[in-house]
Amino acid sequence: MANDIISILVIILVVMAIALAFSIGANDETLSALVGAGVLKFKIALIIGGIAIGSGMIFFSGGYVAKTVGADILGEGIQYTDFMLLTVLISSILWLVIGSFAGIPLSSTHSLIGSVVGVVIIYAIFQGSINLGTAFNWDKLGNVVLSWFLSPLFGLIITFVFFKLIAKLYLSRLKGLNQIELSERYFKWILLVVVIFAEIWVGANSGEALGILFGLLDNGSLNIQQYFTFSVVCGIFAFFGIYVAARYVIKNLASQMIESRPSEGIIIQSSSAVILMIATLFGLPISHSHVIVFCILGLSLAQKKDIDYRALGKMALYWILTFPIAGILSGLLYYGLGSFGFV
Amino acid sequence: MSELDEKRLSKLSIDELTRLFMDNINEQNLELIEGIESLVEEDFTKFKKKLNYVIDTNTEVQIKKTFENRIFKSKLMFSKKDRLKIFSKINDVKNIGEFMANKLLLYKVLFPDKEFKLDVLSILKSLRFISVNLAKAVKLIGSDLKDAYSICEEVKDERRKMRREEFRLLNRLYNYDMDYLSRTFLYLKEMIEDIMMLADHIKSFSEYIQFLATKYLIFD
Repeated sequence: MANDIISILVIILVVMAIALAFSIGANDETLSALVGAGVLKFKIALIIGGIAIGSGMIFFSGGYVAKTVGADILGEGIQYTDFMLLTVLISSILWLVIGSFAGIPLSSTHSLIGSVVGVVIIYAIFQGSINLGTAFNWDKLGNVVLSWFLSPLFGLIITFVFFKLIAKLYLSRLKGLNQIELSERYFKWILLVVVIFAEIWVGANSGEALGILFGLLDNGSLNIQQYFTFSVVCGIFAFFGIYVAARYVIKNLASQMIESRPSEGIIIQSSSAVILMIATLFGLPISHSHVIVFCILGLSLAQKKDIDYRALGKMALYWILTFPIAGILSGLLYYGLGSFGFV
Repeated sequence: MSELDEKRLSKLSIDELTRLFMDNINEQNLELIEGIESLVEEDFTKFKKKLNYVIDTNTEVQIKKTFENRIFKSKLMFSKKDRLKIFSKINDVKNIGEFMANKLLLYKVLFPDKEFKLDVLSILKSLRFISVNLAKAVKLIGSDLKDAYSICEEVKDERRKMRREEFRLLNRLYNYDMDYLSRTFLYLKEMIEDIMMLADHIKSFSEYIQFLATKYLIFD
C-alpha cells in the first residue's frame, strides 16, 4: 500500500515536472525581439526558439542548475523525500498563482528555492536529529542567493558598457536613416543568432523541472535511464510550451517592440544570455526576468532615457519578499502534511 | 505617367521615392507661391495658369502608389512607421496646397494698396524659404539627420517671423476703411490664414524631422 502511494506520488511529480517544463516554454518572451524585428516568419521563429530552449534544457540543465536544485543545495546526508518535492512544487506554484492574481511579477526560481528552504527547515525540525546548520549546503545556498543580487547588477553593467562601446565604435558614426536601416538589416541576422543563443541558456538555467527530476534520481525514485528519458520529455514539452502557449505573449510583446532597433535587441539579449550562461555553468539558478529587466535598465541609462524608479522599487520589493514568503508557505504546507502523518 | 516611368519608379528605393515625391510636391508648392505673387501683381492669366497647374497635376499619384506598395512589403519594421509618416506628411503639404489653390481661384481680388501687397510678397518670400528648406531637410533624412535637424531649426525660425508678419497684415487689413463682410475682406483674410496654415504644417513637419533625428541618432 505504502509502495503504491509512493509510485503514484512519483508519477504525479514526473507529470508536474513535465508541466513545469511546458510552463517554462509558455512563459518565455525571448523570441519577442526576433518576431518584432521581423527577422523570420512567426511559426519558423517559434520552432527555432522551441528547439533552442528544449535543447538547452536537455543538454545543459541536468548537470548544472538541476543538480543544484535537486541535490547540491541540501546538506550532507539529506535527500528529498517525494512528499518534500511535492510540497515544494505545490507551494511555489501556489505563490506564483497568488502573485499572478495580485498582479505581482514574481520569479519562479526564487519561489522554488524559497519553497525548498521552507520545507527543509520543517523537515529538519520533524526529524529532530538534523541540525539546521548541516541541513543545507550553506556555501551553495549562499552563492545562489548572492547570484540573485549579482546577476541583475551585472546585467545592467554589461548592457551599459556594451551599448557605450558599440555606440562609440559604430552606431554614432551612422549619419542618416539609409545608413541606419542598412546596418540594422545586418543586425537582424546577428539578432537571430543571439536570440537562439539566449534561448539555449534560458532553457539551461530553468532548473525547476529538471531539478525535481534530479531530486527523484537522487532519492532513488528514478533510475538514470528514466531520468534521461523524462529530461528529454521535459525538453520536448518546453518546445511545445513555446509553440502552443507562448505564441500569444510573444505576438503581443513583439507588436510593442516593432519600433525597437535590432541592434538594441542584440545588446540586451546577448548581455542576458552571457549572464545566464555563466550562472548555469556555475550551477546557479537565477531569474531570467530579473536579468532582462536590469539589462533594459542598463540600456535606458546608457541612452539617458527616463526611468520609472517607483515601479522599479516596487518590483524590487516583490523580488525580495518572494523568497521568504515562498519559504513560509512551503514550511506551513509541509507542517500541515506532517501533522496529518503524510511525511 | 508613362509605362517607362512606372518601370523606373519600381526600381527606386523607399528613400528615393520619398525624395522624388518631395521634389514633386515642392515644385507644386513653388507654383502656388508664384501664382499668388501673380495675383499680387494683378497678372490674372498667370495666376490662373499656376493655380490650375497645382490642381490638375497628379504625377505624384503614381509615386504614392509605388511607395505604398513598397512600404507594405518592407521588412524594416523599426523605421516603417516613420517612413510612412514622412510620406503622409508630404502628402498633406500637397493637400493643403491644392485646397488653397481651389479657394484662391474662387474670386479675382484686388489688393487694397501697395503696402499690403509688399507685406503679402514678404510673407510669400518666407513661405518659399520654408518650403524649399523643408524639401532639403526631407531629402537629407536618408543621408544626414544632423544637417536635416539644423535646416529644420531655420524653418522654425522663419515660420516664427511669418507669425509676426501675419499679425501685421491682419492688423493692416482690419484697419482699412472697408466693409468687413465684403468679398475682398473675407478673401484676403482667408488667404493670409491659409498661407499660415501651410506654414504651420511645414513647421510641424520640421519638428517631426527633428524628432526623427533625436530618435535615430546615437551620440557617443
